[in-house]
Amino acid sequence: MTLLAFLLLLALVPAESARGRHLPAAAISSPVFGPRQVYGVLGGSVTVRCFYPPTPVNRHDRKYWCRQAGSGCPTVVSTQYVAPAYQGRVALTDHPQAEHFQINISALELGDAGTYQCGVGVNGRGLSYRVTLSVVEAPPVPETPELFYVKLRSTWTVTCSFGEDTVEMKKYLCKKEKEGCRNIINSYQELGSIQLTFEEPPGSFRVTMTQMDWEDAGVYYCGAGEYGKDKTSKELEVFIYEDKTFPHLKTDITAKNGSSATFECPYEPLIDSATRFWCKRDGRICNRIIDNSGFVAKKYKGRVAAFENPENKTVAIILNQLQYEDEGFYWCMSNELREQQSSAELRVVAGQPALTGKKEVEARVGSWVNLTCCYPCTYSSYEKFWCRWNGTGCAMLPAQPGLPQPGDTCGPSSRTLVLSLGPLAEEDEGWYWCGLKRNGLFGETMAVQLRLSAGSDAKLSPEFLDVDSSRDPGAAPPGGAHSDAEVRKGAAPESSDESHGSNTLGLVLGPLAGLILLVVTAFAIVKYRQMKRSDLVSVGSYRTNISMSDFESVRDFSASNCVKESQETPMGGDEFITTTDTPESAADTTKAKRSSKEDADLAYSSFLVTSSSIAQGSSGGDSAVLDPSPPQHRD
Amino acid sequence: MKSTWSLCVALAVSLGIILVAGYPVSPQDEEYVLVNNKCQCVTVTSKFVPSKEDPEEEVLERNIRIIVPLKARENISDPLSPPRTTFVYRLSELCRNCEPVEIDLGGVIYQAQQGNSCEEPQTCYTYDRNECYSSPVPLLYHGEYLDICKLPVLPDSKKIRRCH
Repeated sequence: MTLLAFLLLLALVPAESARGRHLPAAAISSPVFGPRQVYGVLGGSVTVRCFYPPTPVNRHDRKYWCRQAGSGCPTVVSTQYVAPAYQGRVALTDHPQAEHFQINISALELGDAGTYQCGVGVNGRGLSYRVTLSVVEAPPVPETPELFYVKLRSTWTVTCSFGEDTVEMKKYLCKKEKEGCRNIINSYQELGSIQLTFEEPPGSFRVTMTQMDWEDAGVYYCGAGEYGKDKTSKELEVFIYEDKTFPHLKTDITAKNGSSATFECPYEPLIDSATRFWCKRDGRICNRIIDNSGFVAKKYKGRVAAFENPENKTVAIILNQLQYEDEGFYWCMSNELREQQSSAELRVVAGQPALTGKKEVEARVGSWVNLTCCYPCTYSSYEKFWCRWNGTGCAMLPAQPGLPQPGDTCGPSSRTLVLSLGPLAEEDEGWYWCGLKRNGLFGETMAVQLRLSAGSDAKLSPEFLDVDSSRDPGAAPPGGAHSDAEVRKGAAPESSDESHGSNTLGLVLGPLAGLILLVVTAFAIVKYRQMKRSDLVSVGSYRTNISMSDFESVRDFSASNCVKESQETPMGGDEFITTTDTPESAADTTKAKRSSKEDADLAYSSFLVTSSSIAQGSSGGDSAVLDPSPPQHRD
Repeated sequence: MKSTWSLCVALAVSLGIILVAGYPVSPQDEEYVLVNNKCQCVTVTSKFVPSKEDPEEEVLERNIRIIVPLKARENISDPLSPPRTTFVYRLSELCRNCEPVEIDLGGVIYQAQQGNSCEEPQTCYTYDRNECYSSPVPLLYHGEYLDICKLPVLPDSKKIRRCH
């Protein structure tokens, strides 16, 4: 019975969501918009303004004003013609940049009253709007609503002003519904995507509504006091039309704690001189974070950067190192271009960011440092980059491949992106971002803060060089090993919170000596175990030292790579890999590290060959001498 | 047993609230677009209307609007093809949605196709008002072939009705 109830409940949900997927009929009806009712005084003149989408087709097409008569609509005036009866009385002017055309009718007669259509193209084809003209004998003329032609997904701004005596009253904006007027915003409220600000002169206010959708079309009332009770209100009519070239901006952004989020602001490259800024809404105030004059708020240093994209007409703003306090509404504002404003809501959820790595790195001036960034294999097809944060933007850096610090290797299912810097100078201090990009759109980014300290321990480096090179032959460049030890050393005084006293040297040397001892012991143990596991096989007159540990280590290494190669293991049979070579080189084969599966298979098959030849008692001659390729770096 | 019973009660109450209050978001008398095909010039919208038999009940009503372009050619890209006399409209073909949609799978965005058999393009009966159409035309000079030019198919013809 519970199951039935659950199913019933579930059945109700899809019906609602399905409705959300379809466009309302307004999306395909006529995009021409005009006043529903126009009033003129007898003998006077009247102006009718009709709006249309400024597409290239519409801009050059014929505009007309026709009078409805039965099923037809004979033209009164158009861009190419004036009806003889109306000569000298009517005029039609097109204003394509302002998205409307205007009809002026003067010397109004009583016979002029009736139903008309203003439209684009050919009469009667539906691309029009019905207007009713009424002629009154004497003024006053009834008030008609103010019309707004708003692009889908853009911002609507309206300013309403009432007298000074309304300063104390509540200001509101409400939408007319079947019963009454539904409140949208009033001066006592604070909403995220709608803003109400007070203007000069006192008694006037401005409402900015972002993310306008099809359902937002209709009649609105802005006023002071209470709707219906006080007479101070103004009627507004909003029409939404689609402009396919308007960028589709994401308005709800969800990001994980610690990762980054990308916001998009509309941007008109031609009107570049306007001041544009990005801010976070906090009640009535919007705290500026970054703007196009080079300003960045102190709290956001190293965290925010803007990237302009003139082709998409957007500016991408990336905010990383996200915390739960960053949740809220972010607005792209412009003082001059009101319709270039937009808002987006950021939600921060718990989770693991995709990019991982050391977020704070300390290094000595003059040394080399490798910054590591780990990303999951799913992002292997994405474009990866490193960039240097420089105030308002992030300058791209050419990726210099290098190996990560031995302590920084990424997990088994991640790949590494390394930025190698050096020799470091004072100005290299700052934030470095590693990020993902795909199809020109920015993905996640991670910021690494590089802190520099004056180089004074350069004399310690030769020691480290010896220790590290014996442990890992040819794996890491000497510089890398050096800075690794520096980093470890740097971590200790960091945690003790800037206690750079005179006893720093003592404090540092002590644990350092212990570390060296540990490393030497570990090395000794590993080498001993290696020796224990090796098998000695004599083939004829040679002493071949093929150790099983070599095969094991190869398998581990290939598993840690994200390379999915087919498992092909040729088992004996036809493969006779023979090379006539001198016996001395046979001893070298054991030392080299094999880094590819093919080489491992080669080694294994040749091992089988040799073992089978031993079994057959063949002496001398065939032996497999392997010439392994140098270890390959894989990212 | 007691927990199941209390769950049942809670469910019943929530169901009741939903049924009484109605769907919270969109009003019932809205018309929605199902098909907006500029190629064959067909629009289909649907809305809920009170049923003729029982005004208390609501039924789904579909409005299909077809504009048949009588002066169209067989092949709209070829200005020399003969005029078209047969027009076939299949609702299954028109309701097909071949617009790719973005899906978020585990943090990575993929483009997914929403319909089957999207490979065969639909034969167009007329022109979209907001599009430009051109056709390659061979340039001949004294019978000799010079070059191919892309010329507009409909420079500004008021006779051929476009779909808007």
